[in-house]
Amino acid sequence: MLYTKEELFLAISTVIDPEVGFNLVEMGLIYDAKSDDEGNVKVTMTLSTKACPLHQMIVQWVKESVEKMDGIKEVEVEVVWEPVWNISMADDNVKKALGA
Amino acid sequence: MSSISQDFAPPFKLIAPFFILGSFFYLITALFLFSINIEDLSFVNPQVLGFVHLFLLGFVMMIIFGAMAQLVPVVLEVGHFGVELFYAIWPLLLIGTILMVFGFLYSPQLLPYGGVVVLVSMMIFVMEIFMTIFKVEKLNLVMSSVLISNTFLFFGIIFGLLMALSYAGTIDVDIASLLKGHISLVIGGYITITIMGLSIVLVPMFTLSHGFSMKPLEIAISLMSVGVISVVVATLMDIVFLEYIGYLLSAISMLFYFYIIYIIYKTRPRKENDVYAISLMFSYISMLVALALGVLYFIVGSENLLLASGWLLIYGFFSFLITGHIYKIIPFLVWFEKFSPLVGKQKVPMLADMVPYKSSQAQFVFSAVGVVLITIALVVQSNILISAGASFLVIGALAFIRSVFYMINFK
Repeated sequence: MLYTKEELFLAISTVIDPEVGFNLVEMGLIYDAKSDDEGNVKVTMTLSTKACPLHQMIVQWVKESVEKMDGIKEVEVEVVWEPVWNISMADDNVKKALGA
Repeated sequence: MSSISQDFAPPFKLIAPFFILGSFFYLITALFLFSINIEDLSFVNPQVLGFVHLFLLGFVMMIIFGAMAQLVPVVLEVGHFGVELFYAIWPLLLIGTILMVFGFLYSPQLLPYGGVVVLVSMMIFVMEIFMTIFKVEKLNLVMSSVLISNTFLFFGIIFGLLMALSYAGTIDVDIASLLKGHISLVIGGYITITIMGLSIVLVPMFTLSHGFSMKPLEIAISLMSVGVISVVVATLMDIVFLEYIGYLLSAISMLFYFYIIYIIYKTRPRKENDVYAISLMFSYISMLVALALGVLYFIVGSENLLLASGWLLIYGFFSFLITGHIYKIIPFLVWFEKFSPLVGKQKVPMLADMVPYKSSQAQFVFSAVGVVLITIALVVQSNILISAGASFLVIGALAFIRSVFYMINFK
């Protein structure tokens, strides 16, 4: 394993949702991230809505944020809709800022 | 980044004219109000007809069509059939609107020409939407609402054209029997069902609401559809009780729609009251008051109440829902075009940074006061209050234009 889940999450946390102003990790949109020894990474994530017009862009940003790490060969980003995202998955600072 | 499809965000230069023209029509309609004499008001008065068409075609339809260029792929989850067709829609709608308004005000002979140009514009729009819908493999409720609303629009404009031809003396049809059907098809069938469908995608998207049942929306769209068809059949066949059933079903439909919006509002995690949120609140309150005034009209029988109800429905409910969403749609499109390629390379603004605080707040406050004053003016029959309300609306519209240009030119 080239990188831990936490290291991958840290890299992905540079991606910010321009509508709400929080990064995808603190929003709770990144469900999982794992890498193998050869530098292949798989990220499992969701979006706050299926109709998100930034869908393709956000996936691309997540991919690029991981590709910037040393030794990364290939990044696969899978967008899943189960479990459905809800605000309880977000960090406390996000909930507090939104007033949830 | 080159692999990213533009399907979900058409070029802004394609959509910008709709929003710019729409915002100017919003101002022109506010100025138009100064010429209104309250003693002459009725639903068949040429000035009222000119005003309503200026507002609904120039502002409401212009902005809905522009917004649909971006929202249809988002809602239908497929790319447009031919998004370039939108380059033809706005010039035709602009010319048709001007001809129709001048036709109502000065020369009825212009009405068929204006009507045909508007018809061509809307037919291009409706056909483009239908062809896009055909690409969808399985329709969900919201997608079905787009199909239903555009079918109503198709018939609504046919009715409108027949009336325009008759108004100009080209053909002889009973305008009175077509008028209620035309109003019901366009306002209930197209605008309201479009708003119902799109808002159930957009409002939860911006408020981050989840987990609500779509059943009330299903009921609302079904009731509105049956209501519109009832009014059309009733007025064509002169069945009075069916017409009233149609109005009743439409009113109940609006209540079901309000209920689902209320649930979304109540359960929203994002509680900030930005200009989007307060615009929507004003809009939905206007809708409820319009319904109450409409019910009062049937009890009391005073046409003032019906005029006030109609005013609140179009200038309170439709307007504020549209202006509120403009503060979300334009920043997204401009951001997508100007700033998305810079993500990861340099600091980029958030979408909220692109909304001008002062002018957007001024637009909301002045427009809201204007709408309330004119509602009161229509109920108590006061020309002075009409002028006072129009003054507020003009300032609100100027602030709206300033906001639109600020967002478009944001650097």
